[in-house]
Amino acid sequence: MTSTPARPALPLRAAVIGSGGISREHLGFLSGRLPSGRGVTTPVAGRIRLVGVADLSPVAARYGASQFGADRAYTDVAELLADAVPDVVHVLTPPQSHVALATQCLEAGAHVICEKPITTTAPELEALLATAETAGRVLTESHNYRFNRGVVALRDAIDRGELGTVREVEIRIALPVTDPGGRFGDPNLPSPIHDLPAGVIHDFTTHFTSVLLHLTGPVDFSRIAAAWSNHAGNPLFRYDNLDAVLIGDGASGPVHGRLRFDAGAAPDTFTVRVRGSGGWAETDLYQPYNRTVVPRPGGSQLSPIVNHVVNGASLVNDGVRNVARKILQQTPYEGLHRMLDLTYDALIAGTPPPVTAADMLAASRLVDRLLSDEVRL
Amino acid sequence: MKLYVTGSTGFVGSHVVAAATARGHDVAAVVRPARSTVPEPAEQRTGDGPVGSVDPVRVDLRSRRGLAESLDGADAVIHLAAAKAGDFATQFAGTVMATENLLGAMTEAGVGRLVAISTFSVYDYLNTRPGTLIDEQAPIDRSPALRDEYAQTKLLQEELYREFGASADTRLVILRPGMIYGEHNLWHALLGAEFGPRFLRIGNSATLPLTYVENCAEAMVLAAERLGEPDDPIDGEVINLVDDDLPTQRTYADLVAAAVETPPSIPIPWPVIRTAAGALKAGNQALLGGRAKFPGIAVPDRLHARFKPLRYTNAKAKRLLGWQPRYGLAEAIRRSAAAEAGTGQADR
Repeated sequence: MTSTPARPALPLRAAVIGSGGISREHLGFLSGRLPSGRGVTTPVAGRIRLVGVADLSPVAARYGASQFGADRAYTDVAELLADAVPDVVHVLTPPQSHVALATQCLEAGAHVICEKPITTTAPELEALLATAETAGRVLTESHNYRFNRGVVALRDAIDRGELGTVREVEIRIALPVTDPGGRFGDPNLPSPIHDLPAGVIHDFTTHFTSVLLHLTGPVDFSRIAAAWSNHAGNPLFRYDNLDAVLIGDGASGPVHGRLRFDAGAAPDTFTVRVRGSGGWAETDLYQPYNRTVVPRPGGSQLSPIVNHVVNGASLVNDGVRNVARKILQQTPYEGLHRMLDLTYDALIAGTPPPVTAADMLAASRLVDRLLSDEVRL
Repeated sequence: MKLYVTGSTGFVGSHVVAAATARGHDVAAVVRPARSTVPEPAEQRTGDGPVGSVDPVRVDLRSRRGLAESLDGADAVIHLAAAKAGDFATQFAGTVMATENLLGAMTEAGVGRLVAISTFSVYDYLNTRPGTLIDEQAPIDRSPALRDEYAQTKLLQEELYREFGASADTRLVILRPGMIYGEHNLWHALLGAEFGPRFLRIGNSATLPLTYVENCAEAMVLAAERLGEPDDPIDGEVINLVDDDLPTQRTYADLVAAAVETPPSIPIPWPVIRTAAGALKAGNQALLGGRAKFPGIAVPDRLHARFKPLRYTNAKAKRLLGWQPRYGLAEAIRRSAAAEAGTGQADR
């Protein structure tokens, strides 16, 4: 990956390929029409111009373009690239199409922001990054949950040394993905995600590994055990459950990782917990709160009580904020908007994007290892 | 005729299949690939001749795969399939993109006759004065951003219908049914809203734009027949479907409550909730720039679409389709209750 050599002309010309559910979040950011401007610090106007929305479906392309104020709708990517001449293309199509579309955009001279998983395997990603390098364009991937406030707070607590040395990171996602009424559970028109190596869990593997590595820092996980299960036995699904343990050496000693996905547990959960030599902290990205248990004033006798009081007050505060979040339509995609905001800042400044090629490769390689035969339980 | 019926396993679709076969038409019934049951033909013929056949067609309209081939031999399409639940993306795929795929396949297959099923939801209710007659000339909602996903996607679907109908090779009629009721669909969204285990009964004296499912299904089949006639008088027309002698909310709710079990209700007068929702919207605009999102009955754009007192007519349907709603309200509720109880067959 190479940064742009000179500052680009503003506004940057942005285009979107794919108009599925996630496109509303990207288009909302690009059009400056997010319900509450969540996660975005700099106004989009003047920085970004939405020049095109492309989809194989004419009505979907037309609707996306009209709703979000794009200059034009396209049903052909080559025409989009030639006619709209975008500086940046958001590739939001099913994962199997990412490599071909991203390659086409990079070779046409556009930077590419791609939804996860950007490729199915790490070697494919290496090749795509090489294409970006040759084209002199930026290639980056949605590692959006790294940028949610809860995870940012955890990273800040680590950076401030509040938790001491990170010893363990545990990430748990519980979502009813096998629900027949959901987008993955419909047997009539199975989602393309089912064809990926981890099946429907592949939609979450990048979240797992990107957040894990963001909080542990660079770690060589030398020992991994991963149990991929299909507990419900639904034949549409390869797996509906992941239980993985990772043990490695970080910069300051041993680090454990625990990754859990469960389609049968309730309620919907995306919890992240960091345990360090000095304390622990946790967050939930779906019902956001932050809890930090560290030595408090009052010594070892009173510290646990102070922790309870402080965290109790914090939970009440988060409860009230979550009511406001719900009414004001703030969703767990706040991190995606913040990531896009920072990515555009970087593209304009000619600096590396917040999700670097090294981040993408590390996350992708770890996914490959979790799926490799030698680590499977 | 051979009628290609989408949404054939649904509440309305299964009755359309029955009505079509009772009138001697053969039906190609679109059934999703994973569905185990297929719709049944009618037991008896209306008039002379044999009952029509039902041939299940296994396709999913959200994909073009196999669609054009599946239309082979069809004389007309009755397009009922739509996604009525789920988020916007789900309903957009199941209603709008599915319709785009179907119309594209019809063009490819050379099938030009379409009975396009729309809905009363497309009308602009917020800006319509109480007591106004909602006929086919009533304005549709041009700024539906605050309407529910169903109304938004059905409006987009109507745009596709009109584009399709603009071709010289096509024959199109758009049918807009009111609230379709029948078995397992007696206690519905025009009476109020669920509130935990209870039901908020909103309003009492508004006239309900109802059509009983068997009446409505027959009108849809009649429309397909009319489209096949030479010098077709209904090509390009929009036709509302409501029954005769429309009841008020109170009358209808009392009749239903006497026939089947209904949830315990909390009455809310229409002026009270209308005023409250209006104040909430004004406050949202003034204080929060309209960013706050509230439940449907607290959003005037959605509330008025369900409960505003208005007037309705079926004169055009009767005139152009030769339709006469077969069952009156009391008989329709009786048949629905019997079908729910499984004690009687809603035969014809």
